[in-house]
Amino acid sequence: MKLHKVLTSSAFLTGLVFTGAYAQELTGFEIMDQVEANQRASSDSAFNKMQLSTCRFGIKDSRITCAERPRIKSLESVGKNYGPEGKDTKSVTIVLEPAAERGVGMLSYAYDDTARDNETWLYLSALGRVKRIASGNSDDDSEPASVFGSEFTTEDTDTGKLEEYEITLLEETAEAGRDVWKIEFIPNEERARKSRYSKTINYVDKERYVVLRAEMYDQYDNEIKRLLASRVELVNDIWMARSLTMMNLVSNRLSNMAFLEIHTGVEVEDEFLTTRTLTDVAFREAELENLRVQID
Amino acid sequence: MENILLSLSEAFARAPNKVLKFKTFVLTGLVVITALMVVGIFTRTELDMTTDSFLDQEDPSMLALNEYRRQFGSDDSVFLVYRAKDGDVFSYESLTAIQQLTDDLRYWQELDSADYPESINGIELDLEELNHIRRVQSIANIRFQRNEGDTLLSNRLVPAEIPDSKEELAEIKARALAEEDYLLAFYSADTQYGAIMIQTDFGAQPVEDYVPAVDASDVVLDDSFMAFDDFSTADSFDLEFDESAEIAEVSFEPVDMLGYTAFHVATKALFENYSDQFEFYPVGNPPMMDFMMDTLNQMQVFGILMILIFTLLLYILFRSFSAVLWPMVTIAASMAWTWGLTVWLGITISQMISLTVLLVFAVGIADCVHVMSAYFTYRRQGIEHYEALSLSYGKTGLAIMVTTITTMAGVLALSTSDLVPIQVFGFMSAFGVVMAFFFTIVLLPILLDIWHPGAPNEEDASLADRLGKRWTDLYIGKKFLIGLVYVVAVYSLLGPWVGTYILLVTGLTYVVVNWQNSILSYVPYIVARRPWLVIAIFSSGFLLCAWGMTQIRIDSNMTELTREGSSIRIAYETVDEHMAGAMSMVIMVDTKTTDGLYNPRLMQAIDELQTRIETRYADQVTRTNSLANIVKDTYQIMSDDDPDYYRVPDDEQMISQLLYLFNSANPEDRRALVSDDYSRSHISLNIYNAGSYQYQLFFDEISQEIDEVFSPLESEFPELEVYPTGSLALLMRMADEVANSQFSSFTFAIGVISVIMIVTLGSLQGGVMAMIPNVIPALLGFGLMGLLGIPLDTDTLLIAPLIIGIAVDDTIHFMTHYRVELIKTGSVSESLKMTISDVGQAVMFTTMVLGLGFALLSFSDYMGMAKMGFFGSAAIFVALLCDLFLIPAMIMIFKPTFGVKDADTRITFMEKLA
Repeated sequence: MKLHKVLTSSAFLTGLVFTGAYAQELTGFEIMDQVEANQRASSDSAFNKMQLSTCRFGIKDSRITCAERPRIKSLESVGKNYGPEGKDTKSVTIVLEPAAERGVGMLSYAYDDTARDNETWLYLSALGRVKRIASGNSDDDSEPASVFGSEFTTEDTDTGKLEEYEITLLEETAEAGRDVWKIEFIPNEERARKSRYSKTINYVDKERYVVLRAEMYDQYDNEIKRLLASRVELVNDIWMARSLTMMNLVSNRLSNMAFLEIHTGVEVEDEFLTTRTLTDVAFREAELENLRVQID
Repeated sequence: MENILLSLSEAFARAPNKVLKFKTFVLTGLVVITALMVVGIFTRTELDMTTDSFLDQEDPSMLALNEYRRQFGSDDSVFLVYRAKDGDVFSYESLTAIQQLTDDLRYWQELDSADYPESINGIELDLEELNHIRRVQSIANIRFQRNEGDTLLSNRLVPAEIPDSKEELAEIKARALAEEDYLLAFYSADTQYGAIMIQTDFGAQPVEDYVPAVDASDVVLDDSFMAFDDFSTADSFDLEFDESAEIAEVSFEPVDMLGYTAFHVATKALFENYSDQFEFYPVGNPPMMDFMMDTLNQMQVFGILMILIFTLLLYILFRSFSAVLWPMVTIAASMAWTWGLTVWLGITISQMISLTVLLVFAVGIADCVHVMSAYFTYRRQGIEHYEALSLSYGKTGLAIMVTTITTMAGVLALSTSDLVPIQVFGFMSAFGVVMAFFFTIVLLPILLDIWHPGAPNEEDASLADRLGKRWTDLYIGKKFLIGLVYVVAVYSLLGPWVGTYILLVTGLTYVVVNWQNSILSYVPYIVARRPWLVIAIFSSGFLLCAWGMTQIRIDSNMTELTREGSSIRIAYETVDEHMAGAMSMVIMVDTKTTDGLYNPRLMQAIDELQTRIETRYADQVTRTNSLANIVKDTYQIMSDDDPDYYRVPDDEQMISQLLYLFNSANPEDRRALVSDDYSRSHISLNIYNAGSYQYQLFFDEISQEIDEVFSPLESEFPELEVYPTGSLALLMRMADEVANSQFSSFTFAIGVISVIMIVTLGSLQGGVMAMIPNVIPALLGFGLMGLLGIPLDTDTLLIAPLIIGIAVDDTIHFMTHYRVELIKTGSVSESLKMTISDVGQAVMFTTMVLGLGFALLSFSDYMGMAKMGFFGSAAIFVALLCDLFLIPAMIMIFKPTFGVKDADTRITFMEKLA
């Protein structure tokens, strides 16, 4: 078992929101660079509440819908950027539902400096103790990790560095009634070692810089997963998709990630992003109340 | 009845000349249709060699395995065991090399195909085949967990930068040996052996042209995915669902032998680069199928050799090349029609087509030899061509028809099998046998009319005749000398086994060619002198074999089907001896309840079952693994590595959170072990290689253990299902099915043959009498195997009835001919004498050709085939002995008249001899 992977999935959550901003017409690489920059901005001093629903899906009256009662996880997360360029992040994620996992928490520090190991602390409420989880070696052979057991993996959104891909602007087309750029990502040799996908195709809204659709292909060049973004809304002057649906086309399972609440630019105490938040329920609730007051 | 038989014989006698009247018309028709069939063969043949194709997709064990694959992915992997030549897999050199090999396998895309051979064993090497690799695990990349204060470390067992100091290497080794989960799976206790686990996607790879249902142009995401309130204060919203929504299940690419072989060749190319340091022992389906493929290729060579032997024997026995060419043409036409019609009907054929070819070949040879033997005899007696044709068909036609019906009935019984390819095989073979009969009646006369040996005179003598003459003119001393040189040459060139076989072929041929007539004419006298003794000898043989048959064990052992000392067998033995065992099976646990596996009592039951299996069946099972192991490991790790916590906790929430941790950390492993809704999981068992018989016992015992352990949970989980599955279980199911269908086919064939014999011979007494020489060859093979303690595997079992069918054909010829003679002459003695001299030659010839041809298969590396060849050929020869000795003895003693009134039953051989 590789507990160190928990780290990536936790860090991922705060940076997940696909966002967009206005910009002039650019190359494929520059378009994606812009999308990435906006993602970073949106994760700073953010307080989010989200829900992951996972189910087997089917088609009814030409509509993709869950074919069974979805399994639901709801989570709360707080994140803040640090470091000279704001490229280091600290974040904490707490499970609200299901009841059996309520109170399970994760704290992670991700450093931009590759020489410095990322850090993760994990708290299991049933056990009542915190463990720091560390991988002694670098993540050279890590496999993409699932995000809280959903169809989303760390690789789906944590695309790493754009330099690791050959990015091609394929064409300008339309998706979900919007004008989009169709952009192809092919991992370079080093990236391919860690990747489950032989290529990814993103459909980026030309006006809002939001990825509306993404297709992931396996080594036989078959599409195995597809992401559909919906409810693109303007939150704090940034366009973002508040409903992301990842479909696994082989297992016929989907996970929907709904951002029930998104707040950016909130004041987060540094003390909140420590292990105390995981173990001290009273402290955690007090601090969260503090954040809610800011929002209202 | 007598009249019917006689008129049938007469009809057959008229047949050839009728056909010859419309010679051009018939021949043109046959050529056109045959051409059409050949076109079909080349354009429409669909060969399905997958193992899955054997069972109906709706068969319960197939459904179980498909369910398993859909949930947990492929269960096909290669376990690449290696022995370090320096004696230590933890030495600096060994670790470095294995690290490199692991990288080669994982990142094969980065390899340059120019560094590898273009082909191995004649199979083209394509590195792209390595695309099937899903995961590679070895000493070089496995990790272990360690607690240090409040920190949990997950380190590589062997650091990426391999240390070269002795102390550090010793430390790594000590750490590895303490990791119980990895011991035997990745290295042996004495550290001489190691293993690389290569997981593949065989059987779980979506079909190539698969189009997801969501690709349809008008399909959109349901609005419910966006229907949550803006900035709601509720903790969650409920996504809508509709249980009537249609789920498009993905079909998987079927796995065939060629796929496995190509993959194995590619992996072999990679690991053989390291053969200076290691000896490799790959086990698993790909190497096994590679071996099977070699066997198939070897079968092609055997096929050619068999045809050579047939050709040679036919030529020597008949001393005319027309006797070689025409049967071959007749058989080829029968085969073309059989194969052609099958593919024109759109039926997919399997590798069992090779058995159909074998059967049609054997039946066709027998049919043609009987006709030609009669024809050539009449010709040598100076009878004119058309008359000889008519006489020979009149003599043999009826018997050929009867053997066709009996053989057809035997193979047709196979069509009731649950295994699809066996059904197809049954129908195809039945049709093939009929075709062989049809072409013998319709085509062979035309062919013999086109080219046949002239009347026997010196100038026209064939090459064989002239060679034979020169040999008989030699002095005895010279003959002996040449014989001796030949024997020495054969043995020194071909070795003891093949040498003995070739000498047997030569010796028997020599005897038959030179003394067939004397043998046949003396046989009645030998038997007449002591008929009771003959009966006594055969009876004791019969009883011995019957007893042997009760001792027989139906048992298919994968590795025992390979020859001792063959590389695949050594590989399996090595893995059993030094590592965790080469076979695996799974026990599926389906609670039918969402989150059912969080239940502590259920999890404890799983743990209990594993403990029971590991302690009670230690001689068969090496290790077990399940979700319970994960729960126990994680519980201990999260509790500061306190060994007291190495157990399944009693608290549902605790289990849920421990598994949550596992899931977040390692979703691949989690998904391979438990379904997304935690309702289904499986226990995997590493087991030693054994035969199907032992497995079946083991499966039964395991099922009982399962019942005992899980029955207390019935009230909590009323729908709980726990059952063994996996490829091995499927194989066992197939073995079971083959045994069943063969048994019913066998019983049915004997029943049908009895009825036909009773009808043809016109009396119950005659029918029963004819069945005795039929049953003896059948019993002999099985009886001998039982006596020698050789298990009867499913492959041998599958072919056995064919051999028996071929063996009994001669007996049927013998008995039918005897009855017809009896009707004609009314004298038992006269009929017997006529039968032995008339049919005797043909029976001897077919026995020689088929018996010696099949004996060649004994040299196959595939023991299923070798056993069939050896015991089959023995059965064919014993059938000959029955025909020549047992039947005459019975006729002399019991004097059956087969319903012929006022027959002269006096036995006059002794008087004549006197």
